[in-house]
Amino acid sequence: MEKIILHKSQSENKVTEVVIEESVEVVKDSMFKKFFLEVSSLTTFTLRFFKEAIKPPYEFNELMKQSFLIGYKSLPLIAITGFIIGLVLTIQSRPTLAKFGSESLLPAMVAVSLIREIGPVITALIFAGKVGSGIGAELASMNVTEQIDAMQVSDNNPFKYLVVTRVLAATLMLPILVILADGFGLLGSFVGVNIKGDVSAYLFFSQIFQSLEFNDLIPAIIKTFFFGYAIGLIGSYKGYNSNKGTEGVGEAANSAVVLSSLMVFIIDMIAVQITSLLQG
Amino acid sequence: MKKNSTNKIKLGIFVSLGLVVLILAIYFIGEKQLLFRSTFRLSGVFKDVAGLQTGNNVRLSGINIGTVESISLVSDTTVRVDIVIDESSRKFIKKDAIATIGSEGLIGNKVLVINPGTGGKESIEDNDRIQTAQPIAIDDIMVSLKTTIDNTALITGDLAKISTNIESGKGTIGRLMMDQTWRENIQATIVNLKEGSDEFKIVMDKAGEIDSILIAIKSTIGYTAAITSDLGAITNSLQSGEGTIGRLLMNTTAAENFDSTMINLKEGTAALKLLLEKAQNSWLLSF
Repeated sequence: MEKIILHKSQSENKVTEVVIEESVEVVKDSMFKKFFLEVSSLTTFTLRFFKEAIKPPYEFNELMKQSFLIGYKSLPLIAITGFIIGLVLTIQSRPTLAKFGSESLLPAMVAVSLIREIGPVITALIFAGKVGSGIGAELASMNVTEQIDAMQVSDNNPFKYLVVTRVLAATLMLPILVILADGFGLLGSFVGVNIKGDVSAYLFFSQIFQSLEFNDLIPAIIKTFFFGYAIGLIGSYKGYNSNKGTEGVGEAANSAVVLSSLMVFIIDMIAVQITSLLQG
Repeated sequence: MKKNSTNKIKLGIFVSLGLVVLILAIYFIGEKQLLFRSTFRLSGVFKDVAGLQTGNNVRLSGINIGTVESISLVSDTTVRVDIVIDESSRKFIKKDAIATIGSEGLIGNKVLVINPGTGGKESIEDNDRIQTAQPIAIDDIMVSLKTTIDNTALITGDLAKISTNIESGKGTIGRLMMDQTWRENIQATIVNLKEGSDEFKIVMDKAGEIDSILIAIKSTIGYTAAITSDLGAITNSLQSGEGTIGRLLMNTTAAENFDSTMINLKEGTAALKLLLEKAQNSWLLSF
């Protein structure tokens, strides 16, 4: 459309102004339209997910396979990042606490921040980068190579087989990954505490559990289900609805990561509001 | 197919590992809140809980034995605090135990501290109401600290003056400490005192003899007292004109009578003398 306008503008000056104004309007309109179209199709996609997830038959074997790929295969990455985060957080917090002469609060402080916030969010972001983009790229390439259409034609339900299993696997696996990441983070913190001090493992862990309450642990675990669900759903949506073409695959993978990372933060913010509201 | 089943086993291990970590975490956190132990409840009423919160620890002799279960406002000046305590520490908390609100550290959490009460008394029962003592608010401490500091400032000012005076040898203590002659005088006095006390010791050794003398003196004084009191009574009677001597001394009529009697007696004796002289010269008797 832009090319046509430029072409016209070269020939007739008068018309140009009018047409350019129109074209700006068209771009504006399409951005809004695009946004609302996106929201509407994402909503339909979500509703379809629930519909297909509830309706039998269930693809248990595929769910197991996806859980293995999404959960188990992400464990090394999550464990390493969790360990490093715990270690770094401990080392970085020490000088501030040392100012108040309260280095003995280090395990408690690290444990609370790790379990409440940093563990779930960092794990979810890594998970979005690894799994969200993976799902997006996989489904997009299946879409591009018309495998999804082929499944539809051969009377297989591609949505149930491809989307529902992946979203469920992501929803169920992320909380377990977060729990393990918290565990590795605390191990990292134990190492971090012992770099400059000498704290026995027993004292370290009893200080941690002394400082933790169910209010710290349970809401943090519950919100990770929503993180996992959002990452799986957005990855599947972007892949399933990708443009036909090679660049569609890259675009789907990229936008899946961007949008799901953003959603992780938005859900986190809502979760914090709800948690603090419930705790009064 | 075989690969598929190993994958499933790996997935199973992964999921169970996650669940085990979660269950352990829940167990250890629950253990702190005494979820898996038998417990009993107590309540106490405070005027002010000074920032105590639900979930804060309850301590007995410095050991965490329970947690604060709920805090509720009963009226505008009463706050009811319910606590859950480990059953095993019930036998140490007596009926007259007192709960106060303390603090874990200068910037730490608040804790409910239980003073166990008197040894011999009965143990506290489930759902009993524990006696409470009002916590000391930091503000109150600050207010009293302010007065203390003000007073201390005055006192230290005075002390500074006093020490300056002492330093310059003013006043008794100053002279005592700084004046050379005083010091020598005092030294001499002390030497004298020492000698005096040595002699006093010798005297005291002889005190056995003195004892008997003292007893004798005491009885003498007793008699003297009796005599003087008798004398007192006598003089009293004399003064009031009782008795012969009294009347003689104090009764004017008696004295006049006595006087005239004496005159009469005198006259009588003169007449008698004359009569006797006449009788000597009379013939009746001259033979």
